[in-house]
Amino acid sequence: MKSANFARFKLAAIIIIIIVDILAAISYFKPSKSELLGHIPPDLISEAGNKYSEVYNNYFVFNIARGRDVKTARSATFIGFVGQVIPADEGVASAFSDVFLWLPALLDGAKITILLTITAVLAGLVLSIFLALGKIAKTKIISGFCSAYIFFFRGSPLLMQLFFIYYGLPQINPSLTINNKFMAAFFAFTLNTGAYCAEIIRAAIQSIDKGQFEASRVLGLTYAQTMRLVIIPQSIRRLIPPVANEFIMILKDASLVSIIALADLTHVTRSISSSANNVMVYIPAMIIYLIITAVFSAIFVRLEKRFSLYQ
Amino acid sequence: MSLIRTENIYKNFNEIQVLADVSISVEQGEVICIIGPSGAGKSTFLRSLIQLEKITSGKLYIDEELFLHRENNITQYRIESVKYKSLLLEMGMVFQSFNLFPHKTALENIMMAPINVKNMPKPQAEALGAELLAKVGLAEKADAYPARLSGGQQQRVAIARALAMEPKIMLFDEPTSALDPELVGEVLNVMRGLAESGMTMLVVTHEMGFAREAADRVLFMSDGAITEEGSPELIFSNPNNQRTRQFLNTVLGI
Repeated sequence: MKSANFARFKLAAIIIIIIVDILAAISYFKPSKSELLGHIPPDLISEAGNKYSEVYNNYFVFNIARGRDVKTARSATFIGFVGQVIPADEGVASAFSDVFLWLPALLDGAKITILLTITAVLAGLVLSIFLALGKIAKTKIISGFCSAYIFFFRGSPLLMQLFFIYYGLPQINPSLTINNKFMAAFFAFTLNTGAYCAEIIRAAIQSIDKGQFEASRVLGLTYAQTMRLVIIPQSIRRLIPPVANEFIMILKDASLVSIIALADLTHVTRSISSSANNVMVYIPAMIIYLIITAVFSAIFVRLEKRFSLYQ
Repeated sequence: MSLIRTENIYKNFNEIQVLADVSISVEQGEVICIIGPSGAGKSTFLRSLIQLEKITSGKLYIDEELFLHRENNITQYRIESVKYKSLLLEMGMVFQSFNLFPHKTALENIMMAPINVKNMPKPQAEALGAELLAKVGLAEKADAYPARLSGGQQQRVAIARALAMEPKIMLFDEPTSALDPELVGEVLNVMRGLAESGMTMLVVTHEMGFAREAADRVLFMSDGAITEEGSPELIFSNPNNQRTRQFLNTVLGI
């Protein structure tokens, strides 16, 4: 019970920190009255009745609520802060004004990121069971092959593996072309995370007491039965924390796919940033990453608890 | 007719000789206790009978059939694999460290092998498990996970688990050595009951009281060899061998 409460508390704390961050960012960038009035085109000032709060509300807060329409109609170069005049399009003031506008695109990107991570880690786990059992197998050819595979995919950069699968394979043989960017990324990430998870599973299996193997053998269980009924069920609880770790790593490494122009969260963020000429989009994007990792961390804490019932 | 017979068993771990020319014969219904100082090779001998260790050389007969023959770490003869499996299952083993499956309840621990090795239907395995738990005095602990059981209770479940495969001979590898002193009695009682019911048993133990009272024959091992064997009366009251005398003096505090 305690750890569930703790997880809930952690989640709440993260959300509060995010909200405080947003508020701090907005208030920090709120221009002072003189700054604002000093740089506002005269016709706009008259229109707003020369009142700071009204100008601010009309042209800053209003923009946040309504998005680009108002901004493009009114923006020009009237927002200033910290003694500088910055065109609204580049400036911080417009940053959060567009959050609601960006959000659907960002969430679409987040969907790709999550989907890629979940499918790749699940497929990678299946692959890794065979790799792990292969690596501890007594047959030299099998264990040699699995060791080499793990060595290669853990020892070379994921980005290069991704490049190679997407750009390299078609050049080796046109039949190896993977047109679907998601599929290319899925293959690269599965092959990569499979190698990492294989090491996790191998370590978990080898951490099980030798007596468990001996008891199974003496009772007449075959090797496959021993693994399936005795060793793997006991390993699962020990697997969850490192696999959760790997999952979060892959979630963040998934941003690499933006380089092959798969529209994940990072790619969407980059394109918004360059087309709107606004770097502030990175802040909500990173917040979305934080929320995703927080949610999945909480899920893994739950899973770990469920599998530790008999302890 | 002997259930198990060994001829000239040698076992080396690298350069160290652990077993040197061990030849014994275990008859149906016999209870044999193996005693001796630690490092004498008692456990290794038991483990090489049930093939948890590979012998360096020697012959092993089960049910008067040549089961395995090795010379200098090379297998000369091994019985064909179907027979190998079934003869191996004539032995049940109880470990010093219990080795129960911690993710299964007491009952599930017992049911696992009959269901998966003998393809016994689940209800039948469940009935068998309940019966065996009652036999070791733990009927009410059927649904308890091993972590919730005391050492003595765990070892009794482990005995029931081994019995579930209906072995002809039970091997006990220091079954009480990992237990708190006050828990030793309950395990020994179960073993006594088993001996009285006619089970053939090969027991490596430091419990001299048990050996004296329950054994038909006591083997004294030192430096990998059986240096003395005989009835408990003979070994405990009038040992011939100097090493046996020394050992008994130490453990019995005479």
